[in-house]
This record gives sequence, structure tokens and C-alpha cells, in this order.
Amino acid sequence: MPTGVTNSLTAAGHKATSSQRQKARGEKDFEPRILAFCCNWCSYAGADLAGTSRRQMPPNVRIIRVNCTGRVDPSFILDALNQGADGVLISGCHPGDCHYTSGNLKMKSRFALLQKVLEEAGFEPERIHLQWASAAEGDVFTEGITSMVERIKALGPNPARKD
Amino acid sequence: MTKRIAMAQLTSCWGCDQSLLDLHLGLLEVLPELEIVFWPAVVDFKIKDLESMPDESIHIGLVEGSCRTEDDVRLLNLMRAKSKILVAWGVCSCYGGIQGLANQWELDELVDRKFMKADTVTDPRIPSENVPAFVPQVRPNVDVVKFNILLPGCPPTSKNIVEALAAILTGKPFDLPEKSVCDQCPKVKQDKHITKFHRSHEGRIDPSKCLLDQGYLCLGFATIGFCGAICPTVNSPCKGCFGPVLRVKDHGAKIVSALGAIAEMEPEQLKDSFPDPIGSFYFTDYAASYLSRMRDKARSKKK
Ligand code: SF4
Ligand code: SF4
Ligand code: SF4
Ligand code: FES
Repeated sequence: MPTGVTNSLTAAGHKATSSQRQKARGEKDFEPRILAFCCNWCSYAGADLAGTSRRQMPPNVRIIRVNCTGRVDPSFILDALNQGADGVLISGCHPGDCHYTSGNLKMKSRFALLQKVLEEAGFEPERIHLQWASAAEGDVFTEGITSMVERIKALGPNPARKD
Repeated sequence: MTKRIAMAQLTSCWGCDQSLLDLHLGLLEVLPELEIVFWPAVVDFKIKDLESMPDESIHIGLVEGSCRTEDDVRLLNLMRAKSKILVAWGVCSCYGGIQGLANQWELDELVDRKFMKADTVTDPRIPSENVPAFVPQVRPNVDVVKFNILLPGCPPTSKNIVEALAAILTGKPFDLPEKSVCDQCPKVKQDKHITKFHRSHEGRIDPSKCLLDQGYLCLGFATIGFCGAICPTVNSPCKGCFGPVLRVKDHGAKIVSALGAIAEMEPEQLKDSFPDPIGSFYFTDYAASYLSRMRDKARSKKK
């Protein structure tokens, strides 16, 4: 009897597990869902600071803390978009300040390539964004989030997102 | 007792059959154990021959190619129903193949380009009689039916095919290697200092050293080590044709990740080094990528 696939595969065998499905909505009151990868040593602390200093920012972003932006594999970003995220933000240490020396610079190079791949595939490269914000820059982080939300609102929902 | 075997071709180049035939006299080792019940590439079998067989009456079904037409989808489902052990034969069958790159465009654009605008077309018209309808995108066969064994390669080498058949015939498990092409490659690897990428015809390759270290886009690091590194061994960079290393979910993402880490160049320069990144990074497995799946979802939603 066939027992199913015996070897593992690529994204082929990988089912999206979207637990945060939203109801269909008109583009007018579109509230983007944005995933942010924040580096532990800078932007995550920056986000914390923004919170403790009671800065206002839109509630559209869900944050995943990573040790360094160099740990953000391009497949994480594509996976998020495939699962329906309207945008993905990566926020890390300023060049020269990376805790692991150059993780952020590697991310910058990967990001440039990834944007190009995204565009070639027929998606807006602006759906992904890379920013630098230090632990002391709660204001920079807040502004980054706000402008990311604006940018994605202007683009509209991810065409691959389930309604 | 001989085992009943069937070999079916979906949209493909039939190179996988060629690779099997390349066994020449080596075929004699496996042939006595096999009874060929369906092989239209070689003998004039018809689809009704396959339809008339009882379900699960074929011990080994090899499916080559991916589904570009509705007939392909029907044949794939038929092969699944009739076969006990279904093998995804070649990278087309595992991940969609080169024709999966067409998923970057809509069907009407593809049809227009091929039948109306191709340079060689003198009498432009879209064929409508005695041809099966196209499906809107190439999906990996493994998304359509269950397979028991994946045998990637473009084509899998003759040795790969015999090993898989031998395992099936003796009831042994057939596992794909954990290795990458780099693990099989004889070139000397050094610290990477890539400041520029060259096309494979540019410059002079030092045959003793790793091609990637010399600035050629050799994808051995991201590609499953199953072919024996046949291309880099003869100084031709690996194009990744066997598909990704095991458990890598997206071949191109893996390549982007590595290039971002090893290239000693400005991000803009790196980006400009690859005019067609999808073609370069997903040569035979774009249909299995996240991006192609996104496009597929967007397409279904539009309807
Ligand atoms: S896997 Fe490669 S050799 Fe086999 S049919 Fe597809 S394109 Fe041809
Ligand atoms: S030549 Fe290619 S396959 Fe060989 S070690 Fe270098 S990158 Fe890997
Ligand atoms: S070396 Fe790379 S391109 Fe050549 S056959 Fe092997 S996987 Fe394919
Ligand atoms: S530690 Fe913050 S980006 Fe590397």
C-alpha cells in the first residue's frame, strides 16, 4: 500500500498554518497585517522603549524577536508573505553596531536580492522593508512602523492573502 | 516473480527515459525482473490500456514530467490509482521542472507569446483541435497526488534510476542523500572573497579550485548531492538542476541567503549581477517555491 511521501520536500510539502485569518474586507478599511523581525540588541529594545515612553503607533505589527537580522533567513520572509502577511519589516542595528559585527550587512545584501526576486515574481518589492533603529531610538522605531503601515496601506492587501 | 512496471510521460522533455535507456546493457540486469505494462515513449500503448488495468495492479509506476495540460492531470491521477509504488521520476515530477518558470506569467500571455509572437511563427494561430486544454499554472505533482518515492534530477543519472529500482525490487528503503553537490565535488575550497560574478564563458577557470570561489555562480552548496557533482567536475558551474538540498524549503531563498553572506560587494552591485534571479536561482523548481505558490493563490482568488 502507498504510504505517502517518504522523502521530505521543499515548500511543496509545507502547509501554511495561518491561525490569524481575517474576514473579507473592502480595500477602503484595509488594516494591513505586518510581521516585523526585530533584532534583540537594538530594535527590540527600541520597540520596548517606544512602549515605555508611551509613543503612539499603529497596532498592525506583530513582532518576532531574533538575535540578529543576520539570522533572518530569506525563506522566513517569503514564508510570511505566502501565509498572507501584507508586509514584512526587518529592523536591526545601524551599520557598524551589529552585535555580531556584520549580520546586518549580510541582511542588507540579501534584502537587495530578495526585493529583486519579489519584483520579478510580480509582487511589489515595497512589501518588504529594512530599517535600522538602535535601542535608544524609540522614536525612530515608531516612525518606521508608522511609515511601513502607510506604505502597505497604499499598496493594498497582499494578493496572495486569504480573505 | 516479475514486477509490473509502468512509465508515463506528462509534459516533459523525455530526458528521464533517455537516462534510463543510457543504461544500455546495464538494463539487462533489471529487465528480467520487470514486466513492462505501459511505456508509450517506446511502445505504442494507449491511455485505454492503462485505464483497463485494475487499481493498484502496477507494482512500480514512474511518472516523468509535470502537469501543463488537463490530460497530464488525468494521466497523473490514473497512474496514482493503478500503481502501488509511485515514483516522482526527475525534477519535473518532483518540483515542476523548467516549465515551472512559466508560472511568472499568466496563461494568456504564455499562449500569445508562444503561438502568436514567437519569431519562428509564420502562420500565427492558437491550436484548438485535437489538443488538450492548458492548466493555468504548473503545480508540483506532489501537490496533486501522493508519491512514495522522490527521484530528483534533470534527468536523474542512470545510476540513480537503477539504485531506486533495485531498492524497490528488494523492498529496501530508498532515502535521498543528506549531502550537497559541494560535498561530492573534488575542487579545492578556500576562503571566499568574491568581488565580482562572471558569466561562465568569461575569464579563465582554474580547474583545480572551487568555481564559486572564482566568482562563478556555482549552486552546489544549495543543491542536493545526488548527481556526483558531474558539472563542476568538468568545470561547468552547477545550475542546481537536481533541486534543493534535503529539507530546504525554498531553493532560491537558500541561494539568496548564501550570496548575501559571501559576496564582498555593495548590495546594489550584487543585485545587478543577476539580471534574471528567478531563472538563475530556481532553474528547475520554481513551481515549488513560496513565490510561485503566492502567485497561484493570487490567480485563484482573481477568478
Ligand atoms: S526532469 Fe529534466 S530530463 Fe527529466 S523530463 Fe524533466 S526536463 Fe527532461
Ligand atoms: S565548484 Fe561548485 S560544487 Fe564544487 S565546491 Fe565549489 S561551489 Fe561547490
Ligand atoms: S552538478 Fe548541478 S547542474 Fe550539474 S547535474 Fe548536478 S545538480 Fe545538475
Ligand atoms: S545584532 Fe542587531 S542586527 Fe546584528
